[in-house]
Amino acid sequence: MIKNKLNLYLLQYAINSILRQKAKNLFIGIILMLLVSILTSVFLISNSIKYELSLTVDALPQIIVQKIKAGRVCDIDANVVDGILEFNGVTDAITRVWGYYYFENAKVNFTVVGIEQFEKQYKDNFENIVKKFDFDTLEANSSMLVGAGIKKIMTQNYYNNYFNFVKTDGSFKKVYIGGVFDSSTQLESNDIIILSKDDAREIFGMDEDKATDIVVKVANPKEIKIITQKITSKYPDVRVITNEDLKLSYENIFNYKSGVFLAIFSISLFTFFMIVYDKMSGLSSEEKKEIGILKAVGWTIDDVLKNKFYESFIVSFIAYLVGVILAFGFVYILQAPLLRDIFEGYSQLRTTFELPFVFDFQTLFLVFFLSVPIYISATIIPSWKIATLETDEIIR
Amino acid sequence: MIVLKNVTKVFEQNQNNQVIALDNINLQFNEGELIILKGVSGSGKSTILSLIAALSKPTSGEVIVDSKRISKLPDNFASIYRRDNIGFIFQKYNLIPTLSVKDNIALPQIPSNPDEQELQKSLSNVMKRFKISHKKDTIVKNLSGGEQQRVAIARAHINNPKIIIADEPTANLDEKLSLHFIDMLKELKNSNKTIIVATHDPLFFNLDFVDRFVEIHNGKIN
Amino acid sequence: MLLSPEVLSLFILNLIFLFFGMIAFLLSIKIFLKWDINSTTNIQYTLEKQSFLTATIIKYIFMIKLPLFLYFIFTLDKISSLLTGAMCAAGVVDATSYGTYLLVIKVINLYLFGFWLTLHYSDIKDENLPYTKLKFGLFIIIFFIFIFEIILESIMFSSIDISKMVDCCGTLYSSTSSSYISNIFLIDSKIILSLFYTNYFAIVVFYIFKKKFLFTLANLSFIIISIISLISFFGTYIYELPTHHCPFCFLQKDYYYVGYMIYSLLFIGTFNGLVVGFMGKTNYVDYKLSLLFNSLYVIIVSIYPVIYFLKNGVWL
Repeated sequence: MIKNKLNLYLLQYAINSILRQKAKNLFIGIILMLLVSILTSVFLISNSIKYELSLTVDALPQIIVQKIKAGRVCDIDANVVDGILEFNGVTDAITRVWGYYYFENAKVNFTVVGIEQFEKQYKDNFENIVKKFDFDTLEANSSMLVGAGIKKIMTQNYYNNYFNFVKTDGSFKKVYIGGVFDSSTQLESNDIIILSKDDAREIFGMDEDKATDIVVKVANPKEIKIITQKITSKYPDVRVITNEDLKLSYENIFNYKSGVFLAIFSISLFTFFMIVYDKMSGLSSEEKKEIGILKAVGWTIDDVLKNKFYESFIVSFIAYLVGVILAFGFVYILQAPLLRDIFEGYSQLRTTFELPFVFDFQTLFLVFFLSVPIYISATIIPSWKIATLETDEIIR
Repeated sequence: MIVLKNVTKVFEQNQNNQVIALDNINLQFNEGELIILKGVSGSGKSTILSLIAALSKPTSGEVIVDSKRISKLPDNFASIYRRDNIGFIFQKYNLIPTLSVKDNIALPQIPSNPDEQELQKSLSNVMKRFKISHKKDTIVKNLSGGEQQRVAIARAHINNPKIIIADEPTANLDEKLSLHFIDMLKELKNSNKTIIVATHDPLFFNLDFVDRFVEIHNGKIN
Repeated sequence: MLLSPEVLSLFILNLIFLFFGMIAFLLSIKIFLKWDINSTTNIQYTLEKQSFLTATIIKYIFMIKLPLFLYFIFTLDKISSLLTGAMCAAGVVDATSYGTYLLVIKVINLYLFGFWLTLHYSDIKDENLPYTKLKFGLFIIIFFIFIFEIILESIMFSSIDISKMVDCCGTLYSSTSSSYISNIFLIDSKIILSLFYTNYFAIVVFYIFKKKFLFTLANLSFIIISIISLISFFGTYIYELPTHHCPFCFLQKDYYYVGYMIYSLLFIGTFNGLVVGFMGKTNYVDYKLSLLFNSLYVIIVSIYPVIYFLKNGVWL
């Protein structure tokens, strides 16, 4: 193994060499830094959204039962609830009435959720909301509660006190805005409209004895799988989604998206480096001459290679550090404009939530392995070519 | 002691532009000698210097320095041999123009990772000796020709080599500076190093302190 | 198909290794066949230059492989959250039939690459470059094993089925499991312990008397007995749980990542120990390093049970 003391002189010489060729090194350094920033930003955004989402998912129900017809979700019979409640271990089964309402003017989807005051809510937040706001008035006057982001959009479209939903038959349903709320995580609060179940059914054109899906609560989480099996055997036309499934699928989507981005990115990175380095790395006569002189005064090929390695490592490592710091600033201070869209997609509501600060060592290592070694690998062959030039020919 | 035994050097071998730089020459240099290699450019004298400095390898034959066969050394060992034993003053000086005088002189020592204090001591000694201390931080490209030569000479001495080699040292100098160099040569002779100078400058041909003159013509010795 | 960024980055680096490794491989063949230190032809000089390229490439691959291996383990740990049932890297390793083999081959390759570098450094110290042909011939063999590792790694990651449930280390490393690991638990831990300390004692003795081959053999057996004793005895004291035998869980944050340090000490110690026997000239530094790191390993691994006993007054 390498048992020699670190040669500080060589290190100094390498730093000096870098400074003497400012233009070339600055160019490479800045490009590398930008690439690292973009890459890191993508990962940071992904981490933050994942984190937000995992908070959300944890708040989701353990089991969701949907009716499937011709491969698509359709309204489920409300009385399935009774069948499910018969199973041992099920503490609760509640119907949900909810859906997406497409608001043409702003070209966004609102999530509309129906809540019944005296039912046990499947989400604690909704419990709080029921306690906080006056549901009697809500149900009596056809009012709704909206999230902050929705209120903003409605106001932007001149709906200040009420909103006109377009029903499935083309007629309007006027619903008053009874209040604005926030809930524990930001992703949701922007996104939801809460009104009574009956109003929701009316807007979506759903029959009285139907529901969008059914939410099941189980006493012992370990029994979720078993109860899932029981439900599917009793009701063959339903599909059951557990919150574990949801968590996994979200994580996979994120991994997929960032993975694909990464693949394309890295290939272009490496190709870019091969080209750039080849072009710029001296077989410029000046650099050739300098290596010739070094070898003429007694530097071995190994010394020259070491020098070149120090150079490329220093440049790439500094670019890496600066790139990472810039990325943190870009994502958490500037909140990553434009780049966020890769992950958020366009059909959802443009959320205005703030990316939470998530610091993850693994991401730093990941970006490191994807930048520094790749850059150095692009310098192996050019460095070797220079180091093995025939001294004699250069200096005569 | 330096011995060249049956040395032949051919450039671009087996090709149309093949050049026989040295043709089966035999030479011997003793320790402490000052030798002048006479010959016009292209005669092969620079090639001899390269071989002694292990900067190139002979096509056939051997180069032996102090009983060590340096012509067969692998590159790393050749470089280390050169670093420890040879001080080469090139015709074009071959200094790194963007480095300071001090850094240029210290260049040969860098890979051997010497002790900081010792290096500084050697540096100041050698700069004082060749009268270039006052410009130690100047960037080399801002020096005059004569000053650059002094830096080149100083660099050749930093590692205290046994053999000093100079290739056409006065080719780019005016008469005054050439005489300067010859004065310095005289002083060097007293330090008991083996000194080999390749030149076709007539100023050298009548010096009394030269031990031997070797004439090279067309790759052969007269 | 597991497309997490970590797995992808491993793939990408593997591709780069493959590319450069191929170059080194082809050059190695050329050098192995045509190398003649005494020849003065242009061919020989070109070969000498190319041997630098090969050595540089191999140095590069090894320098990155080391931290990458740690990162690999880390990745396994992270993916474990994606696989139902897995709570640590053990579950991921076990998710496919290739996992354990991949791990073993990776470790073997670390040793092999390390050897190659040690051989290389001994080679270039001597003017006659005595080991050149040997080392390039060796690399040809190493390269095949390296390719095998890359293929295995690619297969393993692509065949991980996230919908399949895997066993947690609790089931894998228990005395009731049906794998061959369970055989470890059939042996009385006292026997394993005495073997362990005896082996270490042997290492010390051979160090004092500088018996090269015995020292190396002792190190070889030390690798095996250390892992076995770690799983069956010492691990339980790190976890403070008599049934927790997993060799991967203490790589996690909960145990302050102590696993990385323990395995690193063992690797460095035994690596240097093996080098002593395989290298021609005896290098006393290798002896010392081996003894030092092996001793550190033994000390750290023994501290856990001792502290437990001092804290609680009983053994597990």
